[in-house]
Amino acid sequence: MTDLATRPAEVSALRRIDWPTMIRRYGAAAVLALLVIFNIIFTENFLDLRNILFVQLRQAAPTAIVALGMALVIATGGIDLSVGAVVALSGQVTAVFLLDGVPPLVALPIGILVGLAAGLFNGTLVSRFGIQPMIATLVLFTAGRGLAQVVTGGRIQTVNEPIVEFLGLGVIAGLPISVFSLIVITIAIIGVTRFTPAGTKLLAVGGNERAAGLVGIRTKWVKTMAYVVAGGLAGYVGLLELGRIQASDATNAGLNMELDAIAAVAVAGTTLAGGTFSPGRTIIGVLMLRLLQNTLVAHGIPREVAQIAQGLIIVAAIYLLRRSRDAR
Amino acid sequence: MKARLPWVAVAATLMISGCSVDSGGSSEGGAAAGAASPAANCAIATAADPGNSQPAADTPIAENAPKLAQKDTYRVAFSQNANNGAWRIAETQSMQDEAKRLGYQIQVTDAQNNQSKQIQDIRSLIAQKPDALFVAPMTEEIGTVIGEAKSAGIPVFLIDRTVSDSQAKAGTDYVTTIVSDFVQEGKRAAYALAKATGGTGKVIALEGTTGSSSAVDRKKGFEDALKECPGLELVATQDADNQRARAQDITESLLQANPDVTAVYAQGDDMAMGAIAAIRAAGKVPGKDILVVSGDGSKEALQAIVDGTMAANVECNPRFGPKAFEVMKQYAAGDEVPTKILNEDRLFDSSNAGEFVDQAY
Repeated sequence: MTDLATRPAEVSALRRIDWPTMIRRYGAAAVLALLVIFNIIFTENFLDLRNILFVQLRQAAPTAIVALGMALVIATGGIDLSVGAVVALSGQVTAVFLLDGVPPLVALPIGILVGLAAGLFNGTLVSRFGIQPMIATLVLFTAGRGLAQVVTGGRIQTVNEPIVEFLGLGVIAGLPISVFSLIVITIAIIGVTRFTPAGTKLLAVGGNERAAGLVGIRTKWVKTMAYVVAGGLAGYVGLLELGRIQASDATNAGLNMELDAIAAVAVAGTTLAGGTFSPGRTIIGVLMLRLLQNTLVAHGIPREVAQIAQGLIIVAAIYLLRRSRDAR
Repeated sequence: MKARLPWVAVAATLMISGCSVDSGGSSEGGAAAGAASPAANCAIATAADPGNSQPAADTPIAENAPKLAQKDTYRVAFSQNANNGAWRIAETQSMQDEAKRLGYQIQVTDAQNNQSKQIQDIRSLIAQKPDALFVAPMTEEIGTVIGEAKSAGIPVFLIDRTVSDSQAKAGTDYVTTIVSDFVQEGKRAAYALAKATGGTGKVIALEGTTGSSSAVDRKKGFEDALKECPGLELVATQDADNQRARAQDITESLLQANPDVTAVYAQGDDMAMGAIAAIRAAGKVPGKDILVVSGDGSKEALQAIVDGTMAANVECNPRFGPKAFEVMKQYAAGDEVPTKILNEDRLFDSSNAGEFVDQAY
């Protein structure tokens, strides 16, 4: 799709079909297609529109939104381990405010602000202080969830607020809110990265930070912004997840979501070294991993087996990434 | 900074499935209102709630543990393994409230889900020479330190979990263990489900964390009892890890693959709440199209029964205080105390949930 950095490589790839690269790029889509075909044949009611939109896509959408932010950060050569904890923190802070009677019009934006602030914190540590992204984001990975548990006192409390119920069960244009949000966010991100200089700058920083700096790109600012966007998206997903379970749950909200997002980016065939950004393939990666899990669950196979299957697919993706010619 | 917290959080969900006790509750819960006409071949659909089980008749008496003098007031200590999650918070609160009511001094430590911290906690409590020591063990592997309490002459009472038999002997190194009968909880849930459905229908089951004793035992009790009711078909069982969001995702997937499901058994209330949300999201009415039976007895679940979205709930009462101190006083008085004590859990349904919802945890 919008695989900006690999375009020059495509010219040489035209001469002869480079199978590892093809599989790396479109393998996730092919597995997704196979899973869909399998389900159409073997899973009752799979093609039901309600199932596709309100079960499969709705379950995948929050992770997909987080994965888009993760893909942006990975494009700069970074990684953000904190997004799952930020999902928890933003949702729990919002829940606590709502339970205290703060109006939703104030409480919901606060959740997104929490996410943006977390992203700014991560981005500042990485770009201004030069701390390794994995270490810098580890700070909020642990402290973020701890803070979420502190603000809620570790309790699960139901939030009876119409707006929260709307976020979880509401429908816009025939779509669940989370699916609608994913579409809007994807269009916005593709628009900005393809049709403004921001996309070129992002990939330049990820591809060769020093060279990007030499041609006048404010590399620190670009990197910080990637983390801020990822944090803001995680903050928004925190609200969606709050709507979904309609209760505060600091322990489990967003749990392992950062790993699912990284897995989706890897399965999508994006190198974790930076310099490539492919939102479409990232979303396909999320959908594929989610449908894999749901297919196994629907057919009564234990969740542990689904996790092993996911691990094997990630190994295959990494192997193909190494074999592939245009991934450096 | 170490990346410890998320694993702590994972472990915390394991902890929540400890379970037990209630001193007073009657289990003669009463027939489910509005039960469908029962299937002829399902004996358990019309049977009364089987109630609490009795400890095995041959349970030995605690004879060789350190003795406790009879006094007007005691100075006791309680080592909690992790004071988080509504269940354990309620458990600690109950120990403190009961001690206060009796006019005893109580010192509480919180091991924060860390086994080595709990061992340290217990050592420092032993050093302060309390009259009696209550321990909610983090795992079965803290038995050695229980032996140290015996050497110091302090009687130990284990609550909600036990320790490995190879490390500490019941009745010798510690007095007794006060626990719930999870098998019985599963059995009672099956009876309640049969009664609510009338003994026919397709059922999906959501289990707690794979391998935890509560999950294994509840499954056994539930599935064994269900064999007496061939009209109730268990079409799918999945591990939902005691998590609400995961239970919701899994229930959505299972309902899609099995659209004719009419009942859900969730081993724990968080999973039940997730299942209820999934039933709603699937465009069905919980309590009408699909009946939900769960176990724990949380406030939220009792409220769901009052609201009509949940059919019944087998309690897993965290309030150990009254029973724990009653057993301690019996032991001090020289009464025969068995080395294993089963606690009573109540059955909640539409006939009594409204009465108890305010005092639920």
